[in-house]
Amino acid sequence: MTTTVEVLGFARGPDWLPWAVQYFFLIGVSCAAFFLSLPGLVWRLPRWRMPSRLALLAALISGLTAPVALMADLHQPGRFINFYLHPNFGSWMAWGSFFIPLYVGSLLLYAWLCLRPTLERLARQGGRLEAAYRLVAYGGHDSPRAIGLAALSASLGACLLLLYTGMETMVVSARVLWNSPLVPLVFLSTAFVGGIGMTLLVAALSGRRDVAPALNRGLALALAATFVLLAAWFGGALSGHSPVAAQAWSALASSRPWGPTGLWFLGTAVFTLWLAVRFPRSLWPTALLALHGAWLLRWIVFIGGQGIPRMGNTWFDYSIGIGPDGLLGIAGSLGLALFLYIVLTGLIPWDERAEA
Amino acid sequence: MTCPPDPSRRAFLSAIPALTAGIATPAQAADAQATQWGMLIDTRRCIACQACTMACAMENATPEGAFRTVVATYAVTTTEGSTGLSVVPRLCNHCEKPPCVEVCPVGATFKQDNGAVLVDGDRCVGCAYCVQACPYDARFVNHDTGKADKCTFCSHRVEAGLLPACVETCVGGARIFGDLNNPDSEIAKRIKSAGDGVRVLKPEANTRPNVFYIGLDPALAGRVDGISAADMMWRPDHHGG
Amino acid sequence: MEFGKRRQLLAAGGLAAFAAGYSETAGRVVGKLLGRDTPKHRTAGNAPEPEYRVDAHGRIDINPAQQVSYTVCLGCTTMCGVRVRLDRASGRVLRVSGNPYSPLSTDPHLPMKASVRESFAAISAFGERGLDGRSTACGRGNAVAQQLDSPYRVLQPLKRVGPRNSGQWEPISFEQLVREVVHGGNLFGEGPVDGLAALRDLKTPIDPAKPGLGPRVNQVAVLSSVNDGREGFARRFVQKSYGTLNFVGHGSYCGGSYRSGSGALFGNLKTMPHAKPDFANAEFILFVGTAPGHAGNPFKRTGALVAKGRAQGKLSYVVVDPVLTHADSRASGERGRWVPIHPGTDGAMAMAIIRWLFENDRIDRTFLANPNVKVARAAGEPALSNATHLVVVESGHPREGRMLRASDIGVAVPEDQRYNDADAFVCIDPTGRPVPHDRAERPAELFVDRAVEVNGQPVRVKSALQLLREEAERLSLADYATACGIPAETLAGLAQELASHGKRASVIAHGGMMSGSGFYNAYALMSINALLGNLNWKGGFVANGGGFKDDGEGPRYNLDTFPGMIKPAGTPLGRNVPYEKSAEFGSRKAAGNPYPAAAPWFPNAPGLVTEIIPGGLNGYPYAMKALILWSANPLYGIPGLRQRVAADLADPRKLPLIISIDPFINESNAFADYIVPDSLLYESWGWVSAWNGVPTKAMSARWPVVEPRAAKTPDGEAIGMESFFIALAREMKLPGFGDNAIADAGGTTYPLARPSDWYLRAGANVAWQGKEPVGDATPEDLLLSGVERIRPLLETTLKPEEVAKVAFLYSRGGRYQPGKDAFDEDNTEWMRNPMKEMCHLWNENVGSSKNSLSGKSNRGCATWREPSFADGTPMRDVFPADKWPLLLVSYKSALMSPHSIGATRLLRLHPENPVLIHPQDAERLRLRTGDSAEIATPAGRISARVMVHAGVAPGVAAFEHGFGHRELGARAHRVGAAQQPDNARLAAGVNLNDIGLLDPTRRDRAPWVDAISGASVRNGLPATIRKT
Ligand SMILES: Nc1nc2c(c(=O)[nH]1)N[C@H]1C(S)=C(S)[C@@H](COP(=O)(O)OP(=O)(O)OC[C@H]3O[C@@H](n4cnc5c(=O)[nH]c(N)nc54)[C@H](O)[C@@H]3O)O[C@H]1N2
Ligand SMILES: Nc1nc2c(c(=O)[nH]1)N[C@H]1C(S)=C(S)[C@@H](COP(=O)(O)OP(=O)(O)OC[C@H]3O[C@@H](n4cnc5c(=O)[nH]c(N)nc54)[C@H](O)[C@@H]3O)O[C@H]1N2
Ligand code: SF4
Ligand code: SF4
Ligand code: SF4
Ligand code: SF4
Ligand code: SF4
Ligand SMILES: [Mo]
Repeated sequence: MTTTVEVLGFARGPDWLPWAVQYFFLIGVSCAAFFLSLPGLVWRLPRWRMPSRLALLAALISGLTAPVALMADLHQPGRFINFYLHPNFGSWMAWGSFFIPLYVGSLLLYAWLCLRPTLERLARQGGRLEAAYRLVAYGGHDSPRAIGLAALSASLGACLLLLYTGMETMVVSARVLWNSPLVPLVFLSTAFVGGIGMTLLVAALSGRRDVAPALNRGLALALAATFVLLAAWFGGALSGHSPVAAQAWSALASSRPWGPTGLWFLGTAVFTLWLAVRFPRSLWPTALLALHGAWLLRWIVFIGGQGIPRMGNTWFDYSIGIGPDGLLGIAGSLGLALFLYIVLTGLIPWDERAEA
Repeated sequence: MTCPPDPSRRAFLSAIPALTAGIATPAQAADAQATQWGMLIDTRRCIACQACTMACAMENATPEGAFRTVVATYAVTTTEGSTGLSVVPRLCNHCEKPPCVEVCPVGATFKQDNGAVLVDGDRCVGCAYCVQACPYDARFVNHDTGKADKCTFCSHRVEAGLLPACVETCVGGARIFGDLNNPDSEIAKRIKSAGDGVRVLKPEANTRPNVFYIGLDPALAGRVDGISAADMMWRPDHHGG
Repeated sequence: MEFGKRRQLLAAGGLAAFAAGYSETAGRVVGKLLGRDTPKHRTAGNAPEPEYRVDAHGRIDINPAQQVSYTVCLGCTTMCGVRVRLDRASGRVLRVSGNPYSPLSTDPHLPMKASVRESFAAISAFGERGLDGRSTACGRGNAVAQQLDSPYRVLQPLKRVGPRNSGQWEPISFEQLVREVVHGGNLFGEGPVDGLAALRDLKTPIDPAKPGLGPRVNQVAVLSSVNDGREGFARRFVQKSYGTLNFVGHGSYCGGSYRSGSGALFGNLKTMPHAKPDFANAEFILFVGTAPGHAGNPFKRTGALVAKGRAQGKLSYVVVDPVLTHADSRASGERGRWVPIHPGTDGAMAMAIIRWLFENDRIDRTFLANPNVKVARAAGEPALSNATHLVVVESGHPREGRMLRASDIGVAVPEDQRYNDADAFVCIDPTGRPVPHDRAERPAELFVDRAVEVNGQPVRVKSALQLLREEAERLSLADYATACGIPAETLAGLAQELASHGKRASVIAHGGMMSGSGFYNAYALMSINALLGNLNWKGGFVANGGGFKDDGEGPRYNLDTFPGMIKPAGTPLGRNVPYEKSAEFGSRKAAGNPYPAAAPWFPNAPGLVTEIIPGGLNGYPYAMKALILWSANPLYGIPGLRQRVAADLADPRKLPLIISIDPFINESNAFADYIVPDSLLYESWGWVSAWNGVPTKAMSARWPVVEPRAAKTPDGEAIGMESFFIALAREMKLPGFGDNAIADAGGTTYPLARPSDWYLRAGANVAWQGKEPVGDATPEDLLLSGVERIRPLLETTLKPEEVAKVAFLYSRGGRYQPGKDAFDEDNTEWMRNPMKEMCHLWNENVGSSKNSLSGKSNRGCATWREPSFADGTPMRDVFPADKWPLLLVSYKSALMSPHSIGATRLLRLHPENPVLIHPQDAERLRLRTGDSAEIATPAGRISARVMVHAGVAPGVAAFEHGFGHRELGARAHRVGAAQQPDNARLAAGVNLNDIGLLDPTRRDRAPWVDAISGASVRNGLPATIRKT
């Protein structure tokens, strides 16, 4: 066999940085969480009332953080206006720039409509913020029709977001790990893993173990779907039916950092599924594991996928830095999420028990 | 050395009108419409000196460690046990069907009539989607400018009637730049006479490159199966490599 | 609503993290608002505007904000003519490429009569002229401009603070520098130090018992690197004015063994003439230990011509090297092939080829049989050999090993001319009669082994060719094959290939000869050329065109002699003279056996830096009192030297004064007491010819196209070698400098008080050399080339009629003979600038010399000797292969030179130099690419990372040279209160020389050098390697 050693060469580093991972993660989480809010808040299924409220909180936190992370991944964030001045509708990303405001705007509207009665109640309780509550409550009506319409709009936005984020990645035929029709589907299933995880986390923070079984059931389903999709991908890769997947697999499997990372992902995901099924009332562990899984999958896809050499055979040996483009950036979005959580939960009681 | 304060500048400027008289169209743009720029790289003439790499970096003032072109160098051992050196000078292919153009959300990446694929720095938002889309790893985000960066075929020089920096300084004379549409151009003649010996990188990507190679080892035309020693030497400290 | 303390804290923390994480983003948003993101150019990023524009008619439109000037690169010793493009406002160099007038950068090069404006068009896209006319700078040549702005430059005179090599300096004024180094005193609080004035003792012998050593001034040694066009000036000061004998360049650790081997063939072991293949017209070249396209001098020109020849021309070639380099090209298939060899065994390969040529009678008899030039010309040969000349082989005869001379066979020769050049050699004419070679009228006998009557006694003689054949036949092809690791069929194939191309084939070598058998390896390889009869033939082995002399007794100015000039005398510190002529030999002989000498002597070598430093520190043949290092870095470049001398150099009692003149702090001058800044690259003046490999005359002009960055002297000159020496001369009132130091042809005198006084007048000499002087520069030439900047200086220094001619040279970056002049006017198959020296298949200087340690005679012709130590002990006898299984070699970096590490752009592309080992060895040692390993020689150990591939011979570990720096920025020095920045990258990798061998057969334990050439041994060092 011919052996080839690249004596001089170089790789490109990822230009979609951890920011992008954060964005794809958070936006998926938000959309999925938003969908979880529908049974309780739109269809008003009593069993779902509480989980859905928490899901809405989860959707808001991640939905507000996500676009900020996306902005940061632009190297010219000040120029985001160009998305609207010079859209190229041949590009999925260009569409995305319209879907994001549609979704986030609708989500905010929907949340507001859902929260109006609560805000009105808060206003009536008096206190320093009375006036503000009153103003924002704007009458405090519970208007199911309006909520339904806003939910419809947000659903549309969420669907489009899930579609575009998946497609945007999938169409990149230059990246063997991305260029698979399964990618949008895996993003979808893991968005639910993450969305449920985030809702579980919010529940855990407010001590609502009662919502766990429903959410864990959903988590198990989402994980199962993910495994089916991954199995399909591996099937294609190993059987050679999908040459692109085969290339991606052989590259990742032979990579010192990414091989183990992939195994770790699979291992923890199986463990999460087992926990969710075996201990349906577990809250913290499944919450954190689900979030970890959804995030890690995107990390592998985006950072790992960008590391696979397209020319030559030099890998980009990514090591996350501590600066804004690395850990600090991740901490920044977590910080923003934390801040939003504290403000939102500080201003609005999400737990019904406190409402009484 | 001591020199009196530079009197030349004034003299220089006063001489300019005389020097400038008659400048009209740039040297090669006689028939701008029909011109299709392309590059031919004869790897038999490449000595992997990286003059092109360095000249490009200096000319285009790219950040240190970020390259628009580089000459990948391989030690290849055949089944019969003989070992030899292969080179692959790489740069943007200025593809006929450039995937980077399609994906740009703001239309900042575009293909000029003369074939050069360029980035409009006024418009680019630095989203790096084009970087993902290029099958050739030809692009990166320039951390000095915050914009997508890549080989421009030295458009600023070419439109001034000069040659691209990498071509000007190619020690082996491996790089030929010129108008593919002009049958009398050096590049057209050489491509014609090389016949089947002419190859492009990753033909399967269907991008129809305008950078052509003579003597290219097909096994090195894309992702290469093998070991990278560069891997261990080449250590980026900030991405964008 | 609950905002407890804890939540507030958490919220604040979250916000803080957010703010920190998004600070950069926010900055970018603000940048947009402030318009900072606007590109310099809409589509060209940060690229500066082009330097000029060319329109469809070839008209040039200049960009007045930039300057384009032709001068010289110093990224490596090739010293190509380059085109430096700079931003006028900032003086910053934007980019460097080639000078189209210079054959070192362009093929074919532009005729001088082309105006500067035309030269701009010639490299442009106009009419696609720039494709054929392209003029290049290599990767290093492009990147080294960065060093001008390096934070590690020495810009002010420095004086050490604290002990030597402690990395602490104080900046001092130029006046203080000159005062202290001239007058000495208690300079460092360590006791009195003699200054240069006191050391300039031209009368007192170093040792009254050994007057042959010369006066005390010889105890001052000046080491330089390569003639960068300024050596003439430096020599004027050091030797002719100050008066020391010891001014030596880097040859002994560059390619000394090759040069000596070549010098032996061409009969001059002091100037060591050498030739190169006519790359442009050759059909077959055997490169042995020199890597075209990878390194080599001229690097670019060789690379370009070889690449062109293998792709489009008639050239095929084989590179014999333990390492696969960029000389190979798979794309070129059979046109360029690599043949691995065991290090240090090239002589075996060469002798095998020689044997084959004899056995198969493929030697060029027509060429070899000519005993003198006249007969040669008649036979249609442009060159000559001593193949037919007779050598005394009578055992015990006082002239054994020497050539038989005309006086020996009774020709009347004045006694004082006897055995000199005027005493002809002897050959056997076709009638079997011994005749003086210069009287022979027909080809002579090739193979002679008989007796000749000398003073009535029969004396056994052999022809040089006979001796070479016998030497080659000493071993069989199979034995040679075993020795060098190249199969016998391949050896025969190489010989056949060479023979079949005959005069259009040649053998060339260089750095690969730096082994323990280097001299004979090189001599053997070069001897093949003589057997092929290729000398001075188009496509064959040809001489360098040389330069246009700048600093001699020129047509305009006498830059050679001056009243009060000193002719240094004595024994060179490097002992490159016969031991047998020394006083020591006499006294020891009288006392019994004179052998071994205390340390080896090298009668067949030029000046040797390898020996000067250890010898001078050891006091043998005498002690060094002051060392001046001018742009030389022997501690980095000589294997083993650092281990041997670092401690001694650090001790001022061993060597009281060390001064360095250098733009940087390097591994050697880190030990200096004073560092004087020198000009760097395009800041310098100078006149420099091509080292070799250019068949036409070429003299490149160096001039400060950028304002030198160094501080100024009180006279307003930038501090540098020249201004320093001028100031020293003034302070010591030395001849040859100051007022009336330079005379013109009419006897009128002029001052030498500024560097330009010298270089501009040297330029006038260059301009007036040859049949007619060069043309005049037009005002436009001056403007376009930036020479306008120095016009006032030209006008105040030169005679009116000289100004435009010297400006003409500067505007074109030198003076270059037209390319078509490469060939003889009458016979276009011959070179016009021929190698005049005769090929010596027997070199009597070598053949009559003795090893000064063993007392054994040296062989006077090519031979195969295995790598050995100074007394002739084979290296493997001392360090056997079972204990030291590996042999280390080094090869030049294709990108780096030994001083380019500060060009950080290069370093980014190729950041370190893993040691290359073969997969077979790697498997045995369980090493994989990227592993770190300990590599040990008998002299030390280093830790290195390894790279595994089959591009290296099994049993060899190869070091790419140019990395493993301790200085040049690798260590941050403290200068006054300022600390240099740390840049760990500059210390990347390893330097083979850190584990170079010390010669176990030498009492002075000096670094291993070749016993004949005295050149350092960097190839074939015994070693072990293990994973760490
Ligand atoms: N192991 C091993 N050792 C080797 C070699 C090898 O291949 N392997 N190569 C050998 C060879 S061929 C040689 S020639 C020697 C080289 O060794 P040296 O001749 O000693 O030269 P360098 O180390 O190249 O540079 C000497 C000094 O020149 C200075 N310098 C650099 N640029 C300029 C300039 O523009 N102007 C001035 N004034 N000074 C400048 C630098 O600061 C440096 O200190 O090393 C030899 N040593
Ligand atoms: N890129 C680059 N070019 C340069 C320089 C540089 O530093 N970098 N320096 C310049 C200078 S100063 C010089 S002197 C020239 C030198 O130019 P070269 O002589 O071409 O270079 P070296 O690397 O010294 O030696 C040539 C080859 O000898 C091989 N070799 C080692 N041991 C042996 C052996 O025992 N036998 C044989 N046959 N080969 C052996 C090495 O692997 C190496 O490839 O290059 C000049 N050009
Ligand atoms: S090589 Fe890449 S960047 Fe260049 S045109 Fe093709 S796709 Fe675009
Ligand atoms: S980085 Fe710039 S050029 Fe590339 S896709 Fe984004 S906006 Fe377009
Ligand atoms: S054409 Fe210009 S930009 Fe492109 S690789 Fe060459 S030098 Fe760089
Ligand atoms: S400059 Fe030319 S010869 Fe040198 S590496 Fe680049 S393509 Fe090859
Ligand atoms: S070969 Fe040497 S002198 Fe010539 S451009 Fe390259 S570095 Fe400079
Ligand atoms: Mo050298």
